Amino acid sequence: MTAPGAGQEARPGDEMTPLSRTVSQAQIDAYADASGDHNPIHVDPEFARSVGLPGTIAHGMLDMAILGEAVGRWAGAYDRVAELACRFSKPLLPGDTVTCTGRVVSVDPAAGTATLQLEATSSRGDRVLTNGRAVVRLAG
Amino acid sequence: MPDLSHVGRRYLAPGQVVSAERVADYASAVSGAGEVYLPGSVPPTFAAVYCLLPSLAEVLADAELGIELAGLIHAEQSFEWPVPVRPGDVVVASAEVASVESKRGMTFVTLELAATNQSGDTVCRGRSLLLLRGAGR
Repeated sequence: MTAPGAGQEARPGDEMTPLSRTVSQAQIDAYADASGDHNPIHVDPEFARSVGLPGTIAHGMLDMAILGEAVGRWAGAYDRVAELACRFSKPLLPGDTVTCTGRVVSVDPAAGTATLQLEATSSRGDRVLTNGRAVVRLAG
Repeated sequence: MPDLSHVGRRYLAPGQVVSAERVADYASAVSGAGEVYLPGSVPPTFAAVYCLLPSLAEVLADAELGIELAGLIHAEQSFEWPVPVRPGDVVVASAEVASVESKRGMTFVTLELAATNQSGDTVCRGRSLLLLRGAGR
């Protein structure tokens, strides 16, 4: 569980410390207000069911934000996160716990960067975020 | 529904101030009931607020393009941050329709996003894959 921000050297195969967070409807509502994304599929259960969802779902960008926090914690600072990408594969439902995991796949000593492969899974076993990838600027 | 003739359309959003208050609200929403990690620092995905959502609003406002929020699914997202965004920055975001593809009764639209700060530096580039359900009307 090395963290380059803590002065450790990153090596391929290093695991990022997993970050788990239980996402309530109150948190989804707060995210809608803070981001300005008031799409009713996130905040209106009746509307969400009318379009075939089991109920409201968390914003994909909220899931990605938790993934970004996990990478930021590993990197030691947010401005070391140079790139972040993912696919929104399955919705995260209110009350579910999302767990973000990652592993270093390569280190570029010349550029001073590490590339991580990332994923997020829900407590119901769904792969919420797949094809996750981050590039981190390592502490010099 | 958008088609190939819309590829290359570019949308510019009004300038957004990256205020410390908005960053704090966003960071608090991401933390949920827990403690905010690095208060005062801009979470990378705050790009949703200063880059993705304002430029997407311009895209949705183009009636000729015909993308509606209802039925819109955010399928993939990537961001890169060449220069860090700081509280107090004034950022202008844009989106360009990079591709439109129809498959299995669904339309996939790729947007190329960019955001520049008050010094003209590119603070964020991104790519959004949007899935539009239904074959249109």
